[in-house]
Formats: sequence, structure tokens, C-alpha cells
Amino acid sequence: DLLRLCLISKSACLPRLVQLSHLHTSPNSQAPVPALPEKGGKTRHGIIPEEIFQLLYPKTGVTGPYMLGAGLLTYILSKEIYIINHETFAAACMGTVIIYGVRKFGPDVAAFADKLNEEKVQKAQEVKDLAMTSLAQAVLDEKKEQWRAEGRQMLFDAKRNNVAMLLETNRRERVHMVTNEVKKRLDYQIALQTLHRRMEQEHMVNWVEKNVVTSITPQQEKTSIAKCITDLKVLAKVQQAKATV
Amino acid sequence: MHWRAVGHAYTDRKMAGKRAALKAIDWLAFAERVPPNQRAMFNNLKTRSDAIGAKLSSLPEKPVTIDWSFYKTNVARAGMVAEFESKFSALTIPEPKDTATAAINTQEAEANKAAVAYVEASKARIGQYEKELEKFQNMIPFDQMTIDDLNDTFPETKLDKEKHPYWPHKPIAEL
Repeated sequence: DLLRLCLISKSACLPRLVQLSHLHTSPNSQAPVPALPEKGGKTRHGIIPEEIFQLLYPKTGVTGPYMLGAGLLTYILSKEIYIINHETFAAACMGTVIIYGVRKFGPDVAAFADKLNEEKVQKAQEVKDLAMTSLAQAVLDEKKEQWRAEGRQMLFDAKRNNVAMLLETNRRERVHMVTNEVKKRLDYQIALQTLHRRMEQEHMVNWVEKNVVTSITPQQEKTSIAKCITDLKVLAKVQQAKATV
Repeated sequence: MHWRAVGHAYTDRKMAGKRAALKAIDWLAFAERVPPNQRAMFNNLKTRSDAIGAKLSSLPEKPVTIDWSFYKTNVARAGMVAEFESKFSALTIPEPKDTATAAINTQEAEANKAAVAYVEASKARIGQYEKELEKFQNMIPFDQMTIDDLNDTFPETKLDKEKHPYWPHKPIAEL
């Protein structure tokens, strides 16, 4: 069939497929073109087109064309319009062989040719399907990218948020710094005061102690030691008395 | 500055009103819109934002209040506390200047322009794709085409009979 297609050209008036763009492009008619036929014209006995039988049927019935054929054959033989010679026999032999060959191997060869054709069409179909799916996918991808681009607002919101947060952090740091510094200075004063007071206290205590110690005269010391010894003796006696009791 | 006139209450200083409110950002929705080749940049942005937010939330909003009465009674040096107090309440802390937002706004304007241009180009591309898709959909089936129909639908299959006048009308290598 592809071989047949190769022989067909635009100028031939064979019927073609109905499509909106598939019209007779000559300026005479804008009618849609009928489809390509799947098989060739019907024939009877392989040679004689069926149309002749249909043509003659109303007038002569079923046997009409056969009678016409037989009569024509008789006419051309008897009037020697066609002369039987050696060529006739050669034609008969060749015809037999050819018809036998076609009848036997025809279908296989036809199937093979059809298969070749089928493969070509299938390849083209795959290309077409692939193109269609990739185009549809491309459209979806583009739409997705457009949707992505719509979200650009969020990026700038995030950036501005970051800037605002940084500014706020800075402001808080400044405020904290001021308060802390002031507080530090006041606390320093308080700490200084407490330190002063403590030092004065300790100094005073030390001074008082020193004075007391120096004011103890040697006489006082002797008497206090003697008193201590007598006290101790008394205590020892008391202890002994307690122990023996 | 209005807060000087308001009085020396410390809290009034905070109601500056110039600070822009923080917009809540839906990071999940944002993440969905990021194309895979910009994911690293997005992750960086997110970590930076999170760090900044953490730093902000770590600082208390109000500073430590100073107990002036305690200092007034306890500090010996005369007038020091009063002087400090008056100067402190008169103090205005300047707000940090916002230098970046203008740049961001210009960036945003540019990005908007670029995005609009991109969307236009994208729509043009979609139109092209859809046209080709239509051509494929309206095509006659291959087994009903003739060679002329094939050449019409796919102009690249047309054999150049001027360039290669003899069969097979194309370089042997391309057979």
C-alpha cells in the first residue's frame, strides 16, 4: 500500500481522506475529499470488473455478461481477428504459471508488504505520540514555573522581616546597654561605700584592740596571772573533791 | 520626638510606632515554590532568618528597671542619683536607621518586572506548544496520508528536487 501511495500524486483524482484542510485545492470545488479505498475494485474471476455484471444485470440477468463474453470470444476466433499461433500456447503456459504463483504466494507477499508498511506507520505514530506527550508536559511545566514565579513576594517579605528583626535586635541591645551602664555606675558607688564602711570598721576594731593590749601594764598582768593561778588551784581542789566523793 | 513630651515613664519610650510589624511567613508554602536549582539558596535564607529570629527572641523586650528610690537612699554622694535619674529619663535612644529596606524594595520592583517578562515569554511558549499540539491532534492518520500530505504536515520530509535533481533526492548518507 505504501508503494501504491508513492505513485499517487496530487493531480490524480483518486479519493482522499476527509479533513478540514484536506480539500480539493483547485479553485473549482471546495468539497471534502473522500477517503482512500482499502482494497481495489471488486472483480469477478480476477479480471473482469464487477461493474459490468451489475450494468448488464437489469437487461440480461445473471448470464448476460457470460453470454457476451462467449459471443465475443467466438467472434474474434471465427473471424480470425485473433489468430491462434505458437504465441498463444506460450501465453497460455506463462499465464498458468503466473496465476499459480500469484495465487499461492500472493497472500504471503502481501502480508509482508503490509508488515513493512505497518512498521513505518507505527514508527511515525510513536514519534507523534512522543511529541504530543512531551508538548503536553512542556505546557504543564511552563504553567508550574509561572506558579513558582508568583511566589516571589514571599522572598521579599522574608528579607524585609530579616531587616526588621535585625533593627529591633539592635534597638533592644542599645536600650539594654544604656540601662546596664547606668546601673553599673550606681552599683559601683554603692559597692564603694560599703567597702569604705567595712574598712573603717575593721580599722577601728584593730585600733581598739591594739590600744587595749598596750594598756595592760606589767603590774596588771602579774596580778591577773596570779589570780588565774589561784583560780585554777581552787578549781583543781573542787575537782579533786568531786572525784573522791 | 513625641515621647519626650509624654513624660518620663520608661515604658512610653517603647511605643515608637515606626517599626514595621513582622509579617508571618509560611515557610512551607515558600519552600514549595522554590525550584530545585535554587534550593540551596533557600536553605541558606531560612537558616539565616531562623538565627536572626532566635537572637531577637533571646533578648528581653524591656530592659531591667532601675530602682531609683533605693539608690537615692543609699548612695552617699549628694545629687548624683538625682542627676543620673534626670539625665536617664531625658535620654532618647536613637532608633537604628533602616538602610536596607529601600534596596530590598528596588530589588523587588526589578524582580517583579523580570517575573512579568518571564511570564509573558512563558505564555508565548505555551501558545507555541499548544499550537503544535493542535496540529498533531488535527492531523490525519498516517495510514490515510499521501506523500504530499506528509510533506504538508511535516515540512522537513519534503524532498528537495532542486538541490538533488536525481533520485533519491537526498544525500545517500541520509537514506
